Amino acid sequence: MEFQVIGKILQRKDGVAKVCGQETYASDVVVPHMLYGVTLRSPYPHAQVLRVDTSAAEAMGAVCVTPDAPCIPNLIYNERTVSIPEKTYCDRRVLPLRARHVGEAIVGVAAETEELAFKAMQAVKVEYKVLPAVLDLDEAMAEGAQALYDNIYLGDQKLTVKNNVACERIITVGDPEAAFAGADYIAEQEYELPRVYHHQMETKTAVCRPDPNGGITVWATTQTIHNIRILLGRIYGLPLSKVNVKKLAIGGSFGSSIQMNSIIPICVALALKAKRPVKMASSREDDLHSHTKFPARIKLKIGVKKDGRVVAADMLAQVDIGAHQINAFPLLGCMAGWYASLYKWGDFRFEGRTIYTNKVPACAMQGYGNPQVNFAVESLMDLIATECGFDPIEFRLKNYVGIGDEFWGQGPSVKSIIKSCGVEEMLQKGAELIGWADRRPHEEKTGRYRRGIGVARGFHTSGTGGPKPGEVVDYSSATVKINEDGTVDVMTPVMDLGGGTGEAAVKVAAEVLNVPYDRVDLSLVDTKTTGYDVCTHATRGVYCGCGAVYHVARQVKQKLFEYAGRILEELPRDLELEYDAKKDVTIVYVRGFKQKNITIDEVARLAQIYSWGTIAATDSLRQKNCPPCFVAHFLEVEVDTWTGVVRVPRAVLLSDTGTPINPDMVAGQLIGSLSRGLGYALYEETEHDRETGRLKCNGFITDDKIPTTCEMPRLDDIQVYFAHTYEPTGPFGAKGIGEAALNSVASALNNSLYNAIGIRFYRIPITPERVLAALEGSGRDGN
Amino acid sequence: MESQWLKLRVNGKERQLFVRPNALLLNVLRDELGLMGAKYGCGLGECAACTVLVNGRNMLACLILAVTMEGAEITTVEGMGDYDRLHPLQQSFLDNGAVQCGFCTPGMLLTAQALLEKNPDPSEEEIRDYLRGNLCRCTGYAAIVQAVKEVKHPA
Repeated sequence: MEFQVIGKILQRKDGVAKVCGQETYASDVVVPHMLYGVTLRSPYPHAQVLRVDTSAAEAMGAVCVTPDAPCIPNLIYNERTVSIPEKTYCDRRVLPLRARHVGEAIVGVAAETEELAFKAMQAVKVEYKVLPAVLDLDEAMAEGAQALYDNIYLGDQKLTVKNNVACERIITVGDPEAAFAGADYIAEQEYELPRVYHHQMETKTAVCRPDPNGGITVWATTQTIHNIRILLGRIYGLPLSKVNVKKLAIGGSFGSSIQMNSIIPICVALALKAKRPVKMASSREDDLHSHTKFPARIKLKIGVKKDGRVVAADMLAQVDIGAHQINAFPLLGCMAGWYASLYKWGDFRFEGRTIYTNKVPACAMQGYGNPQVNFAVESLMDLIATECGFDPIEFRLKNYVGIGDEFWGQGPSVKSIIKSCGVEEMLQKGAELIGWADRRPHEEKTGRYRRGIGVARGFHTSGTGGPKPGEVVDYSSATVKINEDGTVDVMTPVMDLGGGTGEAAVKVAAEVLNVPYDRVDLSLVDTKTTGYDVCTHATRGVYCGCGAVYHVARQVKQKLFEYAGRILEELPRDLELEYDAKKDVTIVYVRGFKQKNITIDEVARLAQIYSWGTIAATDSLRQKNCPPCFVAHFLEVEVDTWTGVVRVPRAVLLSDTGTPINPDMVAGQLIGSLSRGLGYALYEETEHDRETGRLKCNGFITDDKIPTTCEMPRLDDIQVYFAHTYEPTGPFGAKGIGEAALNSVASALNNSLYNAIGIRFYRIPITPERVLAALEGSGRDGN
Repeated sequence: MESQWLKLRVNGKERQLFVRPNALLLNVLRDELGLMGAKYGCGLGECAACTVLVNGRNMLACLILAVTMEGAEITTVEGMGDYDRLHPLQQSFLDNGAVQCGFCTPGMLLTAQALLEKNPDPSEEEIRDYLRGNLCRCTGYAAIVQAVKEVKHPA
């Protein structure tokens, strides 16, 4: 399909501001007369807060908020409000009466300068009653284990927590037991995936200004301005008309700010108490102590027939979620969904359990359980292919969930039928690009450096919409307006996390209205000037957020035709829109009689002069599908068998994102995800010390390394390929890409390692120590 | 601790500032001069988001006491170019899709500028080696390396 701006590589709208240092992030917000806020954090993994003495800090001029202060509402909530209330587990207070992990904020302190705030914070005395800490998943579930919670809430319903099990989900489809009995071969393995820090470059920040009308204005690091507005209104009893949250640039996120970051309500409490603006910027150490990726322990069993058909599967997933539930329940649903939607298992079962421990709370991080599930499934599928003598690519092609099949976009309650799918094209093209046909078995490889090639495939959902509303809220709003000179403003509450959602919104409006890209701009907006959008999560920015822009821009086009029809004395339905590149104008013309036309600049100008009104529209849209965006990864690895160091000399990254609206940014997502996937597979882990409960890296980046320029393949050694698909339900055929891009990286790497050294790993990160131990071990088993 | 006068040049302009001896260059640039281009990413010299040029050398503003900068010439990203007069590196970053969230971008640009001052035509390996201290979580670095490689030098 030929487009005017969709699919063209154009300079991103915020690009100039970003390269000039002029873009405003929450950490750059300065409000006159503001105080600086800091938090005092628990040194203990588990301790009752008995007494807090802030007198010395207050004597220094500081303002303090403590867990027992009357200004801290006694409301138990969940900082993530994406799910519907009756499916939201709540266990958190603005400031806790009991510290449940090292680094949990206990007291908020604000003062005239950052230095004074820190000094005052050090003068706060907290008396704790130290409780036994639970720092191991199995110990947490054992009879008689120390409980983190007596009660939590599911919506308004009070629940008793047993054996620290936060929530669970068991889903059975068909009769897996009977199906396993009929299988010719059964493979079973247990996989372990680590806690990993998001490592977004900007630390979480909040600025709150109390307003003279009794309300507040908030600038914060977030993926959702509207959910912050609603939750802050609820916590502090403020009318939503008096809570305004500003949309800003965000310095990376990767899921870390789907929920309202824990410091935001603390900052608000300080500002309301001080009656002055307060800015609270997390230190990197604080940030590392606030959230982590969901770890997982996954036991997977797959049954296959001799002819290579999978017939049964069983997955047990246990997730150590740390001290709070952020989105543990929807996580389990999604993990079930990712697993159910990878291959046509026939009869299968999923059992998922999330467990409280005294660790940093886990939340979504790019993929939301998908990289974890994908690692287990794609590693085990590869093992089965080897054991049964199937070609790994043929085996996948025989069993994947594709066109016409049911896709569980968000667990068992949000499903849709797949209408576009590039899996076959990607696997065939990837095989060709990597040189699959020349792949040699690991037995033939000797010497110090050994190379191997492997494949894995995956997907993610595009949004959480389904034919019927499910457990998750999903819709977006937009406003589009044609200015009096024919230029266009787009107002969208959808956060651009850096991936180019903003450009996509502009391109969609430009394409609908046939206006050049440089005549469409994004407006600075906030929650008071936009309709609701749930959140930039679930790879929904383009499909849902820009879907709303598409929906609204078409209404604007209709209004434009009405006004043009009045001027031309023609019926709106007889009019067409076209960009005349020669004259560089967009014209409205009469179908079949192009000579009769008027430029949209003229229509807009006359509409204003004649007092007809602004050519604008505002509306919301809920997408009724959640199409999967598919990916495939073909990686080549090189193992130094002397040191255990693994390198990736070559990568072929393939995606089926429907129409790539911003091809350069889609490539950027794929390559960026390759680096995050390599970090996940090879280096990163933020585990806690089993004795002290402290993070082993102590909150330092240096001790939790992420990939640098030098760990990535060379420019010529990364190939990116887009499948030729068109999603009929997406704006101009587009689906998402963000999270999908990561989901099969670690799995592909694991499978290439087997091809290099004949060892399968069941636990990541696959550090040099683990590689060496496996190479030296007699079992040739990388567990 | 008594504040003291500090005289330095920032982006070509002479500045006189009254700073505390423990004030960090990063905070002085951001809080006193309103130059928000240099970013706080870690405060410990681990991420290089705060990179500025000190007398042409790329240095980490989060590790420098402002008072030690007496007489120095500091360049922040705001001094590299402006929206109507972009530095070739800034243009190259835009042309090559090297900007995503943009938080590491100022530090990357200044580090790359320091490299190009020393070595106007670096190889890919030299670029990777020079930028290895600047962390980026979004891009996977490829577009950034490409942008530095393909920068069009002013005639």
